[in-house]
Amino acid sequence: MKSSYLKIIIGSFLIIIAFIFGINQYNKPHVDVRDSKVNYVFTPKKLVDEYLQNEMATTKKYADQILQIEGDSYSISTLKGNSIITFKDATSESSVICHLQPEENNKILKLKKGQYITVKGICTGYLLDVVMVECVLIDPEI
Amino acid sequence: MKTLFTLILTLLIISQVKSQDKFLTKTGFVSFFSHSLVEDIKAENNQGLSIIDTKTGEIIIQLLMRSFMFKKALMQEHFNENYIESSTYPKAIFKGRILNYDQLVNEDLVAEIEGVLFVHGKEKEIKITGEMKRDSDELILSGDFMVEVADFDIKIPTIVVNNIAKIVKVSFEFHHTPYK
Repeated sequence: MKSSYLKIIIGSFLIIIAFIFGINQYNKPHVDVRDSKVNYVFTPKKLVDEYLQNEMATTKKYADQILQIEGDSYSISTLKGNSIITFKDATSESSVICHLQPEENNKILKLKKGQYITVKGICTGYLLDVVMVECVLIDPEI
Repeated sequence: MKTLFTLILTLLIISQVKSQDKFLTKTGFVSFFSHSLVEDIKAENNQGLSIIDTKTGEIIIQLLMRSFMFKKALMQEHFNENYIESSTYPKAIFKGRILNYDQLVNEDLVAEIEGVLFVHGKEKEIKITGEMKRDSDELILSGDFMVEVADFDIKIPTIVVNNIAKIVKVSFEFHHTPYK
């Protein structure tokens, strides 16, 4: 009798633990780019060149990784209220397009086209350009 | 060989779009919506590449699967790792033709589009009806269509089979500008 109670209690406890774990997994937050460690640091040219050399292998290596891009901005624009910084080397047709988080909008106002900027974000791959999303500015002066 | 092929393909696309007849966007919007009794799932992608040749009506659209953003991180993870397998199949591609593009002058057009959709290593011929209009310098193409998940060999585990619709709605909006 005592052992059946014990089994019921342990069983219920395990179900509750599994349920809490499931709920936590279901509601787990997205990666916080600002607080995440940078996996690779690139100049725009170096990253574009690597994609042009072997797109599939480079996609496997860097997609979903947090990359830091350092270089002169080619253009700064907005899309649906969010900012986009494009890095482009004069010798290449391809660029690195960084889509910034909405929280970065105020900082963008202080930036000028052509300014040296450091951005980190999640690389999603290459179309005609390298695409990065969820980007944040990490320039200490901004 | 693969490197050479990628390089040639990229150069070919770039050289092809260098023309006054070509319209392009690199910030095209594509979303998909799955409705089931258990939950609704929606994902959005604002990084779509679309190129239209207004001389021939040809259109090519490319999307990075990892650029689809979900509300829940777990859904995004399952989508990329288990269902779409983004590491192996990083892109979705639509290659087709706007059949009645020559009717587009200044008025809005109900665009009839036919082409092939490549997703998850599978291809399927599809027909889409969209709206096309000129707005100053922009050529805007928008619309939606339905896609059967099974057509693209996307395997849904039994445990979540009721969470995901068998047919999902895909919506799109591309604001093309002339390629300079």
